[in-house]
Amino acid sequence: MPVKQSLTSTIFGFILGLSIIAADAAETKHEVNPETGVQSWEFHDQGVAFTIMQITPDQARGFFLARGFDRQAVDYYASYCVFMTIVRNEAVPESLSYNLADWRFYGKDGKTRKLKLKEDWLKEWRKRKVTEPAIIAFEWSQHPSTQTFEVGDWNQGMTTYALPPESLFDLKFRWKVNGVIHEAMLKDVQCAGTTPAH
Amino acid sequence: MKRCSKMFSVPALRLLTSVFTGCLVVLMLPATQGLAAEKTPVQALIEVAARPQAPDFLLEDVDGKKRRLSDLRGKVVLVNFWATWCPPCRHEMPSIERLSHILKDADFAILAVNVAENLETVFSFTGTLDSTPTFPIVFDTDSRVLKAWPVRGLPTTFILDKQGRVAYRAVGGREFDDPAILAQIRGLMEAR
Repeated sequence: MPVKQSLTSTIFGFILGLSIIAADAAETKHEVNPETGVQSWEFHDQGVAFTIMQITPDQARGFFLARGFDRQAVDYYASYCVFMTIVRNEAVPESLSYNLADWRFYGKDGKTRKLKLKEDWLKEWRKRKVTEPAIIAFEWSQHPSTQTFEVGDWNQGMTTYALPPESLFDLKFRWKVNGVIHEAMLKDVQCAGTTPAH
Repeated sequence: MKRCSKMFSVPALRLLTSVFTGCLVVLMLPATQGLAAEKTPVQALIEVAARPQAPDFLLEDVDGKKRRLSDLRGKVVLVNFWATWCPPCRHEMPSIERLSHILKDADFAILAVNVAENLETVFSFTGTLDSTPTFPIVFDTDSRVLKAWPVRGLPTTFILDKQGRVAYRAVGGREFDDPAILAQIRGLMEAR
């Protein structure tokens, strides 16, 4: 799976006085679990590791039903494309930071979109009067919107994308080391289908 | 089959299937953290240079006994924030238990702070472990304690020095009985 080097954003970044480095020589991997059919995508570059793994709508429903959400709320959440997301500082000696608000995804309709962050969800759950224990479980199951990692640090949590099941999209993710912004693109990521592959 | 459909309506069966799938996803997810974990040999705690005083708390353990963090002053203390639905939390728990055995005769204590779950849920999880945790698990039912600490994701672990100051932290799962981590903890125990 090739990583698109975003030369344009690099040039614009320098024009804007920012330094944006597109990931070079990155290692990316797409895997399909032979037992479950669940797909995952992994990216490694200069000590940064990034993994996303499909969560099916049924898995998302089940997870939150078991934690106090009602059927209507879980159906709403499961209507989004959900991925288990892992970011890890494997070997970057300086602090590595990121903000999910800076990440973008590109659907096959050509539109650029932002991820729906946990703060957006929390506002909606409070409006819908979801119970506080359920909200707490939700909050900590989602990937932190901002984070700073030293070597060995990592987080795992869910991220959500406003796309229907089985949609294909490209994901551009960014991170910062020593004030320098790095970015990379995962191409042809696919949302889980409504039924397990196996 | 007929009897089954009498007992459960179709929507109820769907609901049960979803809840069952939800339980499966928690069991399945450790495999996802394994994906990245096997590529990460780094097992170290991050030094907190400023050593801020740890926020105190008073929480109930599984026996209903109240545990106050500041009562452990004079010992090196590992404070682990966790939940049963968090795959890396589940994964690292046996290593915390091994650590507690290694340091059982030392001035060392562990408090595992469970976030917003109940006794039943925690017991169901600890019952699945090869070795049931012997260290205290306390319940932060409304996540108020968690929010007083600099935690953004689970698990996050802090190691406090004998003065109750935060000396090290670890964001994400670790193998706490790893020699590198053990050396860091022992270093704190030897310090005055």
